[in-house]
Amino acid sequence: MMRLYADSSKCSGCRACLVACSLNLFQENNPKKAALVIEAHFPAPGAYKVRVCTQCGACAEVCPSGAIKLNERGAYYVDMTECNLCEACVPECPESVMFVRTELADTSWKCDLCGDCVSVCGTGVLWIAETEAAVA
Amino acid sequence: MNGYGGQILRVNLSNGQISKEPTPPEVARQFVGGRGFGLYFLLKEVPPKADPLGPQNKLIISSGPFSGLMIPGAGKCDWTTKAPLTGGYASASMGGHFTAEMKYAGLDSIILEGISPKPVYLFIDDDKIELREAAQLWGKGSMVVEKILKDQYGEEFQVAAIGPAGENGVSFAHINHDYGRQAGRGGVGAVMGAKKVKAIVVRGTKSIPVADPEAYRKAGLELFKACKEAEMLKEWTTYGTTIVVSWCDEVGALPTRNFSAGSFEDGKNLYGPVMRQKIVITDKGCFGCPSPCGKYSRVQRYNTYVEGPEYETIGMIGSNLGLSSIEDVAQANYLCDEWGIDTISAGGVIAWAMECYEKGIFTKADTDGLELKFGNAEAVFKLIEKIAKKEGLGALLAEGVKRAAQKVGKGSEKWAIHVKGMEQSAYATHNATAMLLAYMTCDVGAHHNRAWAITYDLQVGRERVAPEKVARVIWLQHFRPMFDVLGGCRLQWVELGIDRNLYLPALEAITGVHRTWEDLELVGERLWNLARLYWMREIDGFDRSWDLPAPRFYEEPPTSGATQGQITRFEDVQKLLDMYYEQRGWSPQGHPTPQTLERLGLQSFVN
Amino acid sequence: MSATIRPFGMLREYLQGEKEAEVAAGQTVRQALASLGIPPEVVALVLVNDQPQEKDYSLQDGDVVKILAVIGGG
Repeated sequence: MMRLYADSSKCSGCRACLVACSLNLFQENNPKKAALVIEAHFPAPGAYKVRVCTQCGACAEVCPSGAIKLNERGAYYVDMTECNLCEACVPECPESVMFVRTELADTSWKCDLCGDCVSVCGTGVLWIAETEAAVA
Repeated sequence: MNGYGGQILRVNLSNGQISKEPTPPEVARQFVGGRGFGLYFLLKEVPPKADPLGPQNKLIISSGPFSGLMIPGAGKCDWTTKAPLTGGYASASMGGHFTAEMKYAGLDSIILEGISPKPVYLFIDDDKIELREAAQLWGKGSMVVEKILKDQYGEEFQVAAIGPAGENGVSFAHINHDYGRQAGRGGVGAVMGAKKVKAIVVRGTKSIPVADPEAYRKAGLELFKACKEAEMLKEWTTYGTTIVVSWCDEVGALPTRNFSAGSFEDGKNLYGPVMRQKIVITDKGCFGCPSPCGKYSRVQRYNTYVEGPEYETIGMIGSNLGLSSIEDVAQANYLCDEWGIDTISAGGVIAWAMECYEKGIFTKADTDGLELKFGNAEAVFKLIEKIAKKEGLGALLAEGVKRAAQKVGKGSEKWAIHVKGMEQSAYATHNATAMLLAYMTCDVGAHHNRAWAITYDLQVGRERVAPEKVARVIWLQHFRPMFDVLGGCRLQWVELGIDRNLYLPALEAITGVHRTWEDLELVGERLWNLARLYWMREIDGFDRSWDLPAPRFYEEPPTSGATQGQITRFEDVQKLLDMYYEQRGWSPQGHPTPQTLERLGLQSFVN
Repeated sequence: MSATIRPFGMLREYLQGEKEAEVAAGQTVRQALASLGIPPEVVALVLVNDQPQEKDYSLQDGDVVKILAVIGGG
């Protein structure tokens, strides 16, 4: 099984990944609707921390309507026609990258492993590889 | 309107009225965005001879078609106003994330008008737009204020703030954002301070419409691919603009002790690799940038954090002031950022003051006891604060080097290194005629952003005075600022060398308007001529004498360094100007001719 | 005993488009550039085995030297 990895030490906070992501999920240019997160810690200690979906499946396990499914890349994704905004998934996510923001969208959203973020990252923060479970 | 936020926000600070109007499609078509919008509104709405710090001046902040989209370097906004520093055209380009956020709020331009009766900050959260009380923020450093506002409203908000220097009307006060990006030059911060606006806080959650989403996505990915495949990407990102410090030192372009030379004997401690190793803790980039030039640093010695120093600050505050410790330069950078002054102008005016001191024109009585010699970092730190507060000698220096030298006299005008009242930025031009011409004719004063031509000088012969050099400068002046118009960054083309034609399908897919680089350079030429008309309108008797360089570059050959004994002849300075005006279609006095204005369709802008 | 000079971008024009050239070790980078007809003043950055070095660096056997021009600036 594949997942996204992030080396935060290489992140410069540009957010190109967030725009690529929202374009993929919603066909919109809107970093607030991305499925990965860049935390900026400034002025001190002066670092960016990136949080990404590890494809652990906890969200899918708890979803009562079965809206979180597996796609052709073998990754968990939200079927937006089936999500009923119950928000059961949000607290289950160990990385806090399961999103419900009703002012922005009438569905939850998460990473579907499209890989566009990897394509636009210029500093080598992101890559897709086997999950640790698969490798072990 | 595809590619645009769609609205112009108007904030009348005198009466508190806030209003929006749709972005006029014809303005978008002709002026495209960013700097183009700034110049359009400046010409149209700020009355002739307005006081830059008075209620009639306006501060126009504009994003562009690329801003906020999936395009490399899509993070720039333009701040245009009548310049307190020069009395002419000011246009400062700010990176970071502000432009994206204002675009997501649906805004192509924000126009600040009038003067608020009390300190305020402008709060924008999509369509909720208010002027809020800023008394509790007034007097605080720009980055302290950013932290307060981000803690209060959350990290999704972007903040641009002035420091005390802007509040006090320092003529080269800047506006700070994202802990280390600035709208830097010309005194844009003083205009904001005169209007009593301490900060602008913005968040937007709207999506930006594009004409052809599939084509846009494809073109954007192609641009990112080209950047990532650029040969020099890793080296560029490692050092950012500091990559040229050693080279400038080697070829005599590094300003040293008030531009008295182009090489600094202690320069090695200021080189990029040394800086990276000593103080840099992370790369820091603007919105959408795959090649982040920002180098965020931790200066142990002073317990400060600063984004920088980048090349200009290293040149103007380092070698130009005789400071050889990168930690000291970084600390001075931090102080300028927090107090709110442009590092380039600060370096220029402090260097002038140091030369005055060393020549005995200033004594310790004049400098409030400071030993204002080249190399004295402590004096620099204290002077930055004095300038921001307009205290003692700081009050004189806060006027900028041209006015300070006029006031002091005693021959000190000779070493006031400026053009049109703007302190020259960090390339020493004793013997580099294209770059000298670039500084002479830049439309905001002696700044390098429009035309950067030093490599070209070295490739074709640095002392050569030839039509090709002039043509090169003119082309750069039309082409490079187009990135400021598009709301993006030129450095991917400048530093990574990506093919500029890759931008065209992206621009067309976003806006729905087909444009070639010829079309865009024509916009650039029109804007160039409009800016020239603005100077002519605002300054009585504005003519070729305003395009002359500092006398140092034709009278005083350096006595050391790579350009030892080299100097430009004054006849060549005049020859360069003659060729420049001829190629531009301007009169021998530097005024666009009626034929040129007609060719460019600009007759309606002439009173 | 030789080293390799690898010019980036427009500097390759000085090698008629070739990607690299062999030079004798023992000389300085500056001398090696001169021997190849590359004016040292257009070279902004010299990386020897990916470490930044000055043009007075003395080339060792097996060194790989990347040289970068200042394409634009500012």
